[in-house]
Amino acid sequence: MSAILPVLHIFSKVLMLFAFAFLLPLGVSIALGDGAEKAYDEAILITFFSGMALWLVSRRGKRELHTRDGFLLVVMIWALLPVFSAIPLMVYLPDLAFNEAYFEAVSGLTATGATVLSGLDSLPPSINIWRTQMHWIGGMGVIVLVVAVLPMLGVGGRQLFKAETPTPMKDSKLTPRMAETAKGLWVVYAFITVICMLALWAGGMNWIDAVVHGFSVMGLGGMSSHDASMAYFDSLLLEMIVMFFALVAGISFSTHFMAFRMKSLLAYRLDAELPWFLGVLAVSAFALAGYLLYKGFYLDFPEALRYAAFNTVSVATTLGFSSTDYNVWPYFAPLWMLFLSSFAASSGSTGGGIKMLRAVLLSKQLYRELIKLIHPNAEIHTKIGRQAVPNKIIYAVLAFLFVYVASVVSLSFVLSASGLDIFTAFTAVVAMVNNTGPGLGQVGPASTYAVLNDFQTWVLSFAMLLGRLEFFTLLVVLTPVFWRK
Amino acid sequence: MQRLAPVVHVLGLVVLIFSFAMLVPLTTALIGHDAAQHAFDEAFLISLGIGAVLWLGGRRWRRELKTRDGFVLVLLVWTGLPAVATLPFLIYAPGMSFTDAYFETMSGLSTTGATVMSGLDTLPPSLNLWRHLLNWLGGMGIIVLAVAILPLLGIGGRQLLKAELPGPIKDAKLTPRIADTAKMLWVVYAAITLACALALRLAGMDWFDAVCHAFAALSLGGFSTHDASVGYYDSPLIEAVLIFFMLVAALNFVTHLLAFRQKSLVPYHRDPEVFGVLGLVFASILGVSFYVWQAGVYPEFVIALRHVSFNLVSLATDCGFASTDFNQWPVFAPMWMLALSCVTASSGSTGGGLKMIRAVLMFRQGVRELERQLHPAARLPVKIGGHAVPNQIIFAIQAFVMMYVATVVGMTLVLLASGLDFLTAFSAVIACINNAGPGLGEVGPASNYAGLSDFQTWALALTMLLGRLELFTVFVLFTRAFWRG
Repeated sequence: MSAILPVLHIFSKVLMLFAFAFLLPLGVSIALGDGAEKAYDEAILITFFSGMALWLVSRRGKRELHTRDGFLLVVMIWALLPVFSAIPLMVYLPDLAFNEAYFEAVSGLTATGATVLSGLDSLPPSINIWRTQMHWIGGMGVIVLVVAVLPMLGVGGRQLFKAETPTPMKDSKLTPRMAETAKGLWVVYAFITVICMLALWAGGMNWIDAVVHGFSVMGLGGMSSHDASMAYFDSLLLEMIVMFFALVAGISFSTHFMAFRMKSLLAYRLDAELPWFLGVLAVSAFALAGYLLYKGFYLDFPEALRYAAFNTVSVATTLGFSSTDYNVWPYFAPLWMLFLSSFAASSGSTGGGIKMLRAVLLSKQLYRELIKLIHPNAEIHTKIGRQAVPNKIIYAVLAFLFVYVASVVSLSFVLSASGLDIFTAFTAVVAMVNNTGPGLGQVGPASTYAVLNDFQTWVLSFAMLLGRLEFFTLLVVLTPVFWRK
Repeated sequence: MQRLAPVVHVLGLVVLIFSFAMLVPLTTALIGHDAAQHAFDEAFLISLGIGAVLWLGGRRWRRELKTRDGFVLVLLVWTGLPAVATLPFLIYAPGMSFTDAYFETMSGLSTTGATVMSGLDTLPPSLNLWRHLLNWLGGMGIIVLAVAILPLLGIGGRQLLKAELPGPIKDAKLTPRIADTAKMLWVVYAAITLACALALRLAGMDWFDAVCHAFAALSLGGFSTHDASVGYYDSPLIEAVLIFFMLVAALNFVTHLLAFRQKSLVPYHRDPEVFGVLGLVFASILGVSFYVWQAGVYPEFVIALRHVSFNLVSLATDCGFASTDFNQWPVFAPMWMLALSCVTASSGSTGGGLKMIRAVLMFRQGVRELERQLHPAARLPVKIGGHAVPNQIIFAIQAFVMMYVATVVGMTLVLLASGLDFLTAFSAVIACINNAGPGLGEVGPASNYAGLSDFQTWALALTMLLGRLELFTVFVLFTRAFWRG
């Protein structure tokens, strides 16, 4: 117990702070009189006082946190905040089961975007704002997680990215340096979000939709205030705005931060992932447009390109908006998009999946092993940019990929054993683990995850957390070794 | 030319020897007066001619082969022999396309067991014998490939197995030592095949079928003389005999050799893979039987157990016989069987896929990385059979597994783009890369691969080749470094 107390102590502070997040939807609800006010009142009270109680209980255990505490804290925050985030949904929609509300909240905070709710258009605006605000807060969490926390914990070769953080951290204690890094990145994140909302508003959305979709895009979440998602607007201009900001959010926020600071675009040229990220997406968008045209799905190339580009960018960056039901396209196209979602996003972005840097590293490592067959005794270094990558990190990245593949396979099996068809099971797991949102088959963009049974919903909630916490963080906490002294 | 000629010279010799294999079905045709006699007459002469021309043509450039030539030779043998082996089919059935014939012989020699032919029951016995002989010869090729050649070339961490060889090979030249090792292993292989044929005869097959099925079982090929495969006999005894011999063939033949020599079972105990193979198979049989019985496919557990054990062992060991249409079972069951086919077979067996030893090492490496999260500075060796495995080899294995995953994903996407449905495309790629045989969906056990387009047939023939040559042997030829200097 004494091992958990200090972690609980920090968590209680996070919880009290989190209670303030409900103020925005509460304000909106009061201003519009949309009838959901009570839901936030209760949420604030419960959340704040739970935090307070925990704080009092754990006060005596206060001490400096160690690496091991870091794992536990991260898992605790990401697994338990959704419980509190679900309160407004459960209060306003009494029919919603806890597992479904939890699924929705996990999907919100992990910026996945999968939903079990339908009839979104008739929900109170404040509820929709809360749903996507979770994306946005989750996005903030992800940025600080991937840029500051995970490298320190050494998860999945993340040490590699240490050098890229504005203020490099070398000690293994969770020091206040993190706060500085985080603040700098959050300012950039918030600034871009405001611009995005203004652009959407100028592009023709009303201000509620603009706020909802701005949150959703920057967190690369994907929830919308409309059942039809972006297809509701049917506006090329809005699609282009969303695409642009999805791409921005798919780039490392460290890079944005440097660009802001240096007031130059040079930072983007130095980003090793950027050319791959943009290149893969551009080639895929044009190729899929050509494929859809060839299959006769669209009549002319511009139209095919419009739909292919938007949905490809949306799925590949792990945003998850859709502008059409791509489930009805020939299977190759949506599966290719899902495939992209597993590695396209950059490492310091709000996107999910393996991350482009790891994918590039993997392909270089494979090439190195091929060359080693020809020259067994040669010393060959794997390089990123001009830096040689230490073997230790390559190990960690390879192990990360192995755990990724193993998780996808085993979770698909679990779902398929529970009675789901294999196509739905597999695509749902991929969409969850990458924090993308819509899968294919029964959980395609035109339907929701409400068709799943309780067990399946829990499994997928777990999958979202697993993907967001980059597997190792969550798995480590689940090993017996972790709890041994 | 200077580079290739010495390899072509050796290839010529291999083709010459291979053409004599046609004398076996030719004799059968002469004795049974069946309709394919002229096909084997002509095929024998043509292939003898081809072999002679290659052999004589390359004679002037004759020299000792080096590691690099080894890659080219292995690839030429495994693509060239199937081409020569198509001759009897093409001459007997002029309507058969080269694509289909090549798929059939590639499937035979790589011991996959996927077929594009139906009406097997009415095929001349000599042609059926030829198909099974291809399986058996392929098995011989695989044993020498897996035990002697691939370790020498250093494919996918195979160096690990070098130590286990009776006559260790340490120099980098392809020396006569291979021949010694191979001969001993072939004697064991032939002896077990003979035992299998006798057992099948006693269990109720006629002589011809017994020999054919023994060929297919020991090589883990999976061709049958009946469209209904082993389901034709509907005999639990025959199924039990086959289960036993398939499991035998899925173990390392080096272990069998040692056991024969020492006349004791100790070598099996020492083999680090035996426990994994048998444990995984037995646990899966019980689990899947229970699942299938619960799902109400069979009224009694014992019946479920009978069908599951046969089909599961057959698929997991990469043999590919079927005694019932397991495509009709709830999809979890056959998918699990396909998943087993990736990892079950041992490293020196005639089976395909990743191999048990690599799976075990990958798993341990994953665990090691998890532990490393908690103890970043600790030295944690990965051990197998009491020995620490060098990091170099773990790297090679990780790269192999990742290349395997990348190939499966890539080939599945290619087949999807060509118009196949997801389940068929994915399961066909898995079945072919593991050299297992039947997939699911359109290529399930009750149907065959004849429904595929020419392009798809070639893609899958390539997949079988890639799987059989452990990917890197083929991919290395596509690097610039290979052809330089």
